[in-house]
Amino acid sequence: MSTAAEARSYRLRWRHLDKSLFVWVLLIGVLLVLVINPLARLLWASFQDGETGALTLGNYAVAYGRWRYLEALGNSLVLGVAVAALCTVFGVPMAWAVSRTDMPGKGLVWAAILGTFIMPSYLGAVAWILLAGPNAGWLNRAWMALTGTAAGPLDVYTMSGLVLIVACYSFPYMFVFTRSALDLISSEMEEAAATLGAGVVRTTLRVTLPLTLPAILGAFIVEFLEAIALFGAPALIALPGRFQVMTTMLWQFFEFPPKVEVAAAYAMPLLVITVVLFWLQRRIIARKGFVALTGKGGERRPLRLGAWRWPMLGYCLFVTSLSFFLPMLVVLHAAFAKAWGRGVALDNVTLHNLKFVLFDQSTTQAATIHTFVYGGTSAAFALGLALAIAYIVHRRLVPFGGTLSYIAMAPFVIPGIVLAIGFYAAYTTRPLVLYGTAWILILAFTTRFLPIAYANSDAAIRSVNPELEDAVRILGGSRRLAMRRVLAPLLKRGLAGAFILVFIPATRELSSAIFLYTTGTQVLSVLLFDKSDEGNFEILSSIGLILVVITVVLVMLGFRLVGRDFMLKRTTA
Amino acid sequence: MSIARPTFLAVLVAAVLLALGSSVSAFEGEGPLYEAAKKEGALTWYTAHYNSDTAAAVCAGFEKKYAGIKCNYIRTTAQVAYQRLAQDQKAGIAAASVISSTDIGHYGRMKKDGWLVAYRPKSLSDLIDAFKPFNDPEDMYVITAAGLVLLTYNTSLVSAADAPKKWTDLLDPKWKGKVSIGHPGFSGYVGTWVVQMRKLYGWDYFKKLELNKPRIGRSINDTVTMLNAKESWVAAGPSATTLQSRDKGNPVAVVYPEDGALLMISPSGILKNAPAPNAARLFMEYLLSKECNEIMVKLRNDSVNKHVQPLPGAKSLADVKTIRPTYEEILKGIPEVKEQFRDTFGI
Repeated sequence: MSTAAEARSYRLRWRHLDKSLFVWVLLIGVLLVLVINPLARLLWASFQDGETGALTLGNYAVAYGRWRYLEALGNSLVLGVAVAALCTVFGVPMAWAVSRTDMPGKGLVWAAILGTFIMPSYLGAVAWILLAGPNAGWLNRAWMALTGTAAGPLDVYTMSGLVLIVACYSFPYMFVFTRSALDLISSEMEEAAATLGAGVVRTTLRVTLPLTLPAILGAFIVEFLEAIALFGAPALIALPGRFQVMTTMLWQFFEFPPKVEVAAAYAMPLLVITVVLFWLQRRIIARKGFVALTGKGGERRPLRLGAWRWPMLGYCLFVTSLSFFLPMLVVLHAAFAKAWGRGVALDNVTLHNLKFVLFDQSTTQAATIHTFVYGGTSAAFALGLALAIAYIVHRRLVPFGGTLSYIAMAPFVIPGIVLAIGFYAAYTTRPLVLYGTAWILILAFTTRFLPIAYANSDAAIRSVNPELEDAVRILGGSRRLAMRRVLAPLLKRGLAGAFILVFIPATRELSSAIFLYTTGTQVLSVLLFDKSDEGNFEILSSIGLILVVITVVLVMLGFRLVGRDFMLKRTTA
Repeated sequence: MSIARPTFLAVLVAAVLLALGSSVSAFEGEGPLYEAAKKEGALTWYTAHYNSDTAAAVCAGFEKKYAGIKCNYIRTTAQVAYQRLAQDQKAGIAAASVISSTDIGHYGRMKKDGWLVAYRPKSLSDLIDAFKPFNDPEDMYVITAAGLVLLTYNTSLVSAADAPKKWTDLLDPKWKGKVSIGHPGFSGYVGTWVVQMRKLYGWDYFKKLELNKPRIGRSINDTVTMLNAKESWVAAGPSATTLQSRDKGNPVAVVYPEDGALLMISPSGILKNAPAPNAARLFMEYLLSKECNEIMVKLRNDSVNKHVQPLPGAKSLADVKTIRPTYEEILKGIPEVKEQFRDTFGI
């Protein structure tokens, strides 16, 4: 009797138990394996003697024992802050213009920003050498011809040159983060301010911007971390400009004989910086309630800019010219040139480079397929994982949720090259041998871009008032139902954006790929990098062009599949 | 009939001769080695010897000559190739069968660590005699690639008469802000070049060069980009990539320095844990063969086979005054000059 009752009560309890709990636990496990395992190997290595394996602090002494090494760290900090600041200057006004105003040509601006984001920064850096090289840059020559002076004003081989280039290729994060936040704010709040007598500027500064502050701060941190972890563009710009940053310094530690342990020690303070930045962001946001998506309706009407529409468009086109139109011109010129050193001439035009890359070279074909398959798979993994973690954290489904969000953000500070070493060390030995398969690349990309997915998912979930789900639960619906019918539709658009934000960098990811690819798993970025120090700019540009064109097509297709409203939004809103 | 028969016979004889001719071994024991290699099916080759176009062409040539064996190449810079291999070895992974680095120091280390296995190619007699002293006496590695570091310039900016003729001409103040070089911390070619310049002219050479504010890239090949972009006018550059770029119509040219072009000769070796040991041996023979070197020459690399002549416009290595540090000088010198270089140039 009693056992039957007991059994029934267990059955009842089981029935009412939130089964999604198991999924949460599993996902947390995956996060630990993806992020903690390689990081733990790295931390462990930083305290290990390279030869004997004994515990030591010697690596730290070497890593911070020279002024040159410290100077490089300082340069990276300057680079990171300057890039993040410039990205804010570039990205926020554009996001505001596209999201909230009646500025004309939004489609063009949005497409140019997408193009910018797709263009690998090392490809952009090569193009910028041609644009702003101190001796022969196109822009400098144009300036000299116009003013009759003997020297142009621009020098790409400087810290400011590097800041400009890196900012050009990372401001899209700022744009997208800010824009999705702006898209969620209903006009009612702005109108309320207007009714109370505030002008456009005052409304924007006092109402609209503060509401987007968490998104802007999140993006600022992402920009900072992206800038200090970049290897390609600094290698092309900083070295000829005679200064070092952290990543080029790390390269030195990998020289023969490689000092992986010293590199690990050198990378450690960055983890501390991330943790501090993240904590700071939390504190700033925690003081204010920033739930804007309440489900209580709200209409979004574009702000009338009047005569200011055109200067605003001018600004957008100015920024996208720097980041996309001008560099693309250079790339196109080289891709279709027989010899790009000969300049623009009709008899210098050929389709041979593209034909060679597309049809004659089987490596390019295979690499193209790999690039997009791996990119898509890792974007899906990263997003699924990030969403689940963000949901767990915000709905407080497990204790220590806050720690999870730190873990999800941590990979961002690990330079790809170091992350790759961590992965290599972790997954070339039993029990999990992944080296030589596509999985090691996919998992590395997933880990590397998890922070982007997480920052997005976090913002998306944060913006949805839990009351909406609670309503479902109160009415007897399960958590799954609440997620499927309430959360998913609300997040759909934001998530399409997030997917693309992970997919694109995964297609151009270089620094981790270069260590983890094998003959069967080559990707386009690796091919591109090979060409970047081979002096073969015609082929480099052709591969770059193919990468950009295919990604644009796929992304556009993706937008169309996910929901037409996305496309309609950009043209009408 | 009486006419047809001898014709038939002649055709038959010709056919037999042809068949024999094509199956005449390029080297002793080629047939059995090919058979054994075919059973292995594929080999993986880590190479830093040339750019990926050349590596692809060399592999394609191998697959054509020895049908049934797939050639996978991984082309990176010397440092990355070594790093990959080191990780493989550490993890006990047998991936590569043949390794071709440009940093000769790597070979000493690999030999010491027991990663290599001895093999004396049967085609060794075809190797240019001057290169033979650089082979390992215990046959762990053999020279299979050669190239030059020489003076290069943009022909639309500099006339042949004005172009630098010897290494010290790069120090002329008229090139201030217009010289391009690579970085010894990245490139094995540049490292060896710096060692050689220090040997010839002392470190003073680089202190004076610094007064001309040279543009420093990573790879030696970066100088080709700098010249094509007209960002630099003259450079210490590589022969192969510069001439390849000129073949496309770019305005670049090479000068063989009066005080000697730096000869870079780079070995290949077979790995002890090679998954395809027979294919690896066959590949080493192939790297020395006439076919392979004809492919290399077509792509403006220098031949290591003494029977293959360069294309018009490039000099045969035999006609060039070349200079080269000794093995010990390179081994000891490259780490030293990397530090000196960083002290002088700040990067």
